[in-house]
Amino acid sequence: MLGHSLNLTFPNSMNKRILIVDDSFYMRTMLKNMLTDAGYEVVGEAANGAQAVEMAASTSPDLITLDVILPDNTGLDVLKSLRQIQPSAKVVMCSAVGQEVIVTEAIENGALAYIVKPFSEEKVLEIVGAALQNDASEQAA
Amino acid sequence: MKTRDQEYRELFMAEALEYYDSMSRHLSELERNPNAGPALNELFRLMHNLKANARAMGFADLGEVAHHLETLFGLIRDQERTFSGALIKVVFAGVDALGNMIRAVGADQALPDATALLDNLDRLVRGEEPILEEAEEAESEEESGKKMELSDLVYIQVKKLDNLLNLVGELVIDRDRIMTLAQEIGNPALLATAQHLFRISDDLQYSVMDARLVGVGVLLNKFPRVVRDVASAEDKEVELILSGQDVQIDRNILQIITDALLHLVRNAVSHGLETTAQRAAAGKPTVGHLTLSALTERDDVLIQVRDDGRGIDTEAVRRKAIERGLTTAAAALDEQAVWALLFEPGFSMASKVTDISGRGVGLDVVKMALDSLGGQLRVESQLGQGTTFTLVLPTSIAVKGALLVEVEERPYAIPLMHTDTVLALQPEQISVVGGMLVTHVQGQAVPLVPLQLLLHDEGDELLPFADKADMTGAQQVLVVNYNNRRLGLLVDRFIRQQNIVIKPLSKPLDTIDLFGGVTLLGSGQVCLVLDVPALTRLFLTKRP
Repeated sequence: MLGHSLNLTFPNSMNKRILIVDDSFYMRTMLKNMLTDAGYEVVGEAANGAQAVEMAASTSPDLITLDVILPDNTGLDVLKSLRQIQPSAKVVMCSAVGQEVIVTEAIENGALAYIVKPFSEEKVLEIVGAALQNDASEQAA
Repeated sequence: MKTRDQEYRELFMAEALEYYDSMSRHLSELERNPNAGPALNELFRLMHNLKANARAMGFADLGEVAHHLETLFGLIRDQERTFSGALIKVVFAGVDALGNMIRAVGADQALPDATALLDNLDRLVRGEEPILEEAEEAESEEESGKKMELSDLVYIQVKKLDNLLNLVGELVIDRDRIMTLAQEIGNPALLATAQHLFRISDDLQYSVMDARLVGVGVLLNKFPRVVRDVASAEDKEVELILSGQDVQIDRNILQIITDALLHLVRNAVSHGLETTAQRAAAGKPTVGHLTLSALTERDDVLIQVRDDGRGIDTEAVRRKAIERGLTTAAAALDEQAVWALLFEPGFSMASKVTDISGRGVGLDVVKMALDSLGGQLRVESQLGQGTTFTLVLPTSIAVKGALLVEVEERPYAIPLMHTDTVLALQPEQISVVGGMLVTHVQGQAVPLVPLQLLLHDEGDELLPFADKADMTGAQQVLVVNYNNRRLGLLVDRFIRQQNIVIKPLSKPLDTIDLFGGVTLLGSGQVCLVLDVPALTRLFLTKRP
């Protein structure tokens, strides 16, 4: 090849696959834009718990962003199902303020971190990046 | 014209109106059955989402009202409050207020004041009685009764638009056919109807094309992050300047060039721009500048990637080209022609070269994406000053301006994107050099070849030596341009210029790469669309 070989790295983000679970199309679009801009691959968008479980099984994501409040199930029930069918996937909870109780319970059930809505791009990338890197760390925004 | 902020705003509005409608529905249900669990859950969820979305958009008051109602519905769900009495009135007033606020957002107006409402909601959350003002309540009820609105936006899958565009393409072909028939038959009423059909289908075609347009910004706005990451990985300081985000282009064209643009931008940062130390040593500002701009030029959209980096070392590229035996004439090539070599597949795939100031990595891939669209890729560079890549793109995928020419009584279409100029040459203006016909256009030697020779070409034999002995009268020449190379095609005559709808060739003809597709003329005649890149390549390999 002419010139230096192209050595481009997106630290952390390259090839990481993310599933977004949120019942708001607006929220999903924002999250998706932030994540794909950063080089992540958004493998699916689920709008409810049933879709989330189905997509997690079919897409095997590295990470799942999970809204706390969903139409058919509470996010907590969905979290438990996700942990069973896709234990390797890291789960980051997404929630607006006022749902701290559920979030605490979610962390106890295996979620690694949580993002508080409204979120900034920096915060989302920081939390997602950290969750992908470190299985044990429990992040909080 | 859609920036990402506008896109978010539209999404927010569409969803907020949807939420508002659902809230009203669930409230009525709750009025009939104050303990309806699913309705309460839904109201709680809708308020929660509206709160989060409104806050993300920066509509604090709207978020505040939704937040209070969310809390209240949480309390009702947990049976700490009952859906009865004054609470019902305040909740209805609250949902009405949300509706008014959402509409105000949509109309770009200031949000109505909600202090009294928030006060009452606070009281209810605390377990106190709200203060109701009869007059105000009556007014708001009356107002909400009048307003019933659907979202102004419809979201549609691109494939539905693709289908629509294909159908319009078919329609346009039949329209042209009907127009020609009407002219032949000569019935005035038929002709008038055909002309009307012509205008309407023209409008339809442009409306469909228009519906597929998006702002280039939807792609350009993804680059700040890319540039930041590549720059930090390479330890460079880069300032990215974006412009022309509002320039409109077909969504599928934008999709096709995404990878090419990503490639050019990454290349510009990692290879075009120097490190901070190198820039300082060269006496340049330490921060490198990268400009991504879009502009409209006639019917084309130009997207430029410009850096103020080290530029292309033309001589090094020339040496390499000779070394690799790509061209024996490299010594005589001008700058433009040398740079064009960077896009040759044989060149950029060549083995490791590290002494050239870093261009050419996979540029052939960029070139291929542009070729597939019938676009052009141009490069301008000055050593030490920087490089500019220009992507010349059609605005729309379906309809292209083309020049119709005739060879051996058959029509052929040549996309205008690749045509340079049209000449009528007398035999004395044409000379024979090394077995090739050559003329001079603006001081530059341009090889000429009869188009029919290229069309009839078969096997591996080179083209026959040119002979101008039997040339009489003016020769019609169409000069085409591909990758900075000009080639004159001798044709029998020029028919006209017109917009054509290109259909892909069906199997097994789709493997003939001289033809980019086929179009139907108004006369019903099938017309092959010539692929200029393929013609140029064929000429280069077959010239004597």
